[in-house]
Amino acid sequence: MSGARYLKDRLGLYLLFSAAIVIFAAVVMLLPYDTIYVRDRAYLAIFLVSIILCVFVFLLGTMYNALLWMRGRGLVGTPEQRFLKLVPRALGFVRRRFRPFASSVYNDAIHLPKLKEASVTRWITHFLILGGFVLTLVLDLVATFSLDIAKYQPMIQNDGWAKLWIRDFGFELTGSMMLIGLAIACARRFVIRPKTLRTELPDAVSVLFLLAVVLGGFVLEGIGIAGRIPGHESNQAYSFLGYALSLLMPSSAGGIYDQAWLIHGLMSALLIAYIPFSKLFHMIASPIAIEAERFLPSEVGR
Amino acid sequence: MKKLDISSLEVLSLLRFDACTRCGECTATCPTGGEAQTDELVTPRGKILRLREFYLRQYGLRARLLGGRDIPKDQLEELAQKAYECTICGQCKTVCPARLDTISMWENMREFLVANGLAPLPAHEQIIKSIENYDNPWMQPRTQRSRWSRKIEKEVRIKDALKERCDVLYFVGCTAAYDPNIREMALNTSRVLGAAKTDFGTLRNDEGCCGSTLLRTGLRASASKLARNNLEKFERTGAGTILTSCAGCYKTIRQDYPRIGKVNAKVVHITQFITDLIDSGRLVPSKRLDQVVTYHDPCHLGRHNGVYDDPRKIIESIPGVKLVEMERTRDESRCCGAGGGVKTAFPELAQKIAGLRIEDAERTGAKLLVTSCPFCYQSLQAGIDARGSRLKLMDLTEILWASLSG
Repeated sequence: MSGARYLKDRLGLYLLFSAAIVIFAAVVMLLPYDTIYVRDRAYLAIFLVSIILCVFVFLLGTMYNALLWMRGRGLVGTPEQRFLKLVPRALGFVRRRFRPFASSVYNDAIHLPKLKEASVTRWITHFLILGGFVLTLVLDLVATFSLDIAKYQPMIQNDGWAKLWIRDFGFELTGSMMLIGLAIACARRFVIRPKTLRTELPDAVSVLFLLAVVLGGFVLEGIGIAGRIPGHESNQAYSFLGYALSLLMPSSAGGIYDQAWLIHGLMSALLIAYIPFSKLFHMIASPIAIEAERFLPSEVGR
Repeated sequence: MKKLDISSLEVLSLLRFDACTRCGECTATCPTGGEAQTDELVTPRGKILRLREFYLRQYGLRARLLGGRDIPKDQLEELAQKAYECTICGQCKTVCPARLDTISMWENMREFLVANGLAPLPAHEQIIKSIENYDNPWMQPRTQRSRWSRKIEKEVRIKDALKERCDVLYFVGCTAAYDPNIREMALNTSRVLGAAKTDFGTLRNDEGCCGSTLLRTGLRASASKLARNNLEKFERTGAGTILTSCAGCYKTIRQDYPRIGKVNAKVVHITQFITDLIDSGRLVPSKRLDQVVTYHDPCHLGRHNGVYDDPRKIIESIPGVKLVEMERTRDESRCCGAGGGVKTAFPELAQKIAGLRIEDAERTGAKLLVTSCPFCYQSLQAGIDARGSRLKLMDLTEILWASLSG
């Protein structure tokens, strides 16, 4: 193959990648953030730049992992060519068979019948962590859209149903799911230590990193409630854990709210960047591995 | 720095290595890594993590940015050694919550080891040479392959499928053809087919090794050559059905051959064929045997191909026979220890695993242990002998013939 062709393939791939990150950056930078909790706009700017950089690292890492898969036997061309050919093929497959695809992803990522059969405790742990994580992402998208694009008043007003049930209770619930799941995971990993469980540095880092982000979210909520930061007037019925934590904090804690917000935001962004390089990447690779058997050409070794 | 060649790993294997959740579900039930011995590197998770760590050292993002690192030869050799301690039984595939097709991962991992000059193991080399030179793993001349049939040539008409047209081509397999202790399996299969007036034949001395051993040890290229030879002969016979009494041949012809060439005939295992004969009334086991029997699912037939019901239907069709199941049965069946080249390279380990299976069988209270694979038969018999067990071992065709010939 000619060098020019190879360069063209690489260029094509990196252009596609750059387009994705530029679109993401544009969307992030163009949103007005009128209702965001943090008061200092400099902190907001630091967070926005960080999230763009971290999503860039996440996409780069994910693409790099996929290019490594493409080095394997069974497909023709350079890894970049193979990847460029497979992306539309995979998207076409998902579009054509969306319902079976969605049901299969649900079954293999969330329902996990084999795990349920083997151990209900582990199944619940996995369900709480993954379910909480996915729901938090969904709620984040819903909240961002309603607040910054649709300007949906019930989501903005302090006593609006959407503010109370989605922004307060919703995040509290998904955070609690993750917290309980992670607590069980930590107990198994660091206290009970069953024979089959192997804890090496990457395993410990993944669990503890996620736990730190989730706990940070509750602490932030507690600081917000204790410090009477606008938007945190919720009571124990909605922000139950945040409210409980706020009882342990002085009202002066509100003075460090912006710093705490930034730390939580940066940790969340770093967690996203860490995914492709950690065991958490199985969230992406496992459903693809199962579905890939159906859309990859037979030469790849089905 | 000697760079690993990862181009022999399949796209799907590389993807599956990343998809492993490291949960360890596979480690507890792994016969070679978790049961007969405790060795993390032999377990599925251990192998995946180590291999992944090795290739990421040379191909990962860090290697790309800062340069790859050399992998000490002794570490690579250790991985190769441990990768071959796996029987490729597929128990890990059964329990894997992420539904990874571990069977193809291990076979592909061995191809990778061969491609990188780390395998096959010295213990396998003699068998491989024998297959490549004699078309069988037992260093026996080709002219002796059909010798087993002499004993029944007056009893049953077995056609020469390359000379006479027949409906069913019986692919005997090397073990039943050459091993005097297993020969009864070929004889009983032929007797059963004869009793049902099946129009069948064999390739006689022209039958070649199916290539299972080569495929399981990572020698795909050599196996493909054998497969193409056999496929050409299958085509020449014009038979509509290819029947095997060996679970290993069945897996190879049914699953691996279509990836190498076109298989125009229907591929069936003897247990499936007999079930049809019984269902259609062409075979009626009539002699009462009054036995309590337990059945061992061969991995290649059960977990690898999903054939669980047919052997049980046959056993239950025999008057007086009571089938009792072992605690671990069907897709959770414990391996006999012989597969994946373990019996050749690590006979003591194989015997230990077989011993565990014999214990399973003894716990049922059955007096008779039945299976339907020549390798399982060899391995389980060795386990019975080593433990001094009172269990009697029979191939499924043997017990069926005992009921038919009454």
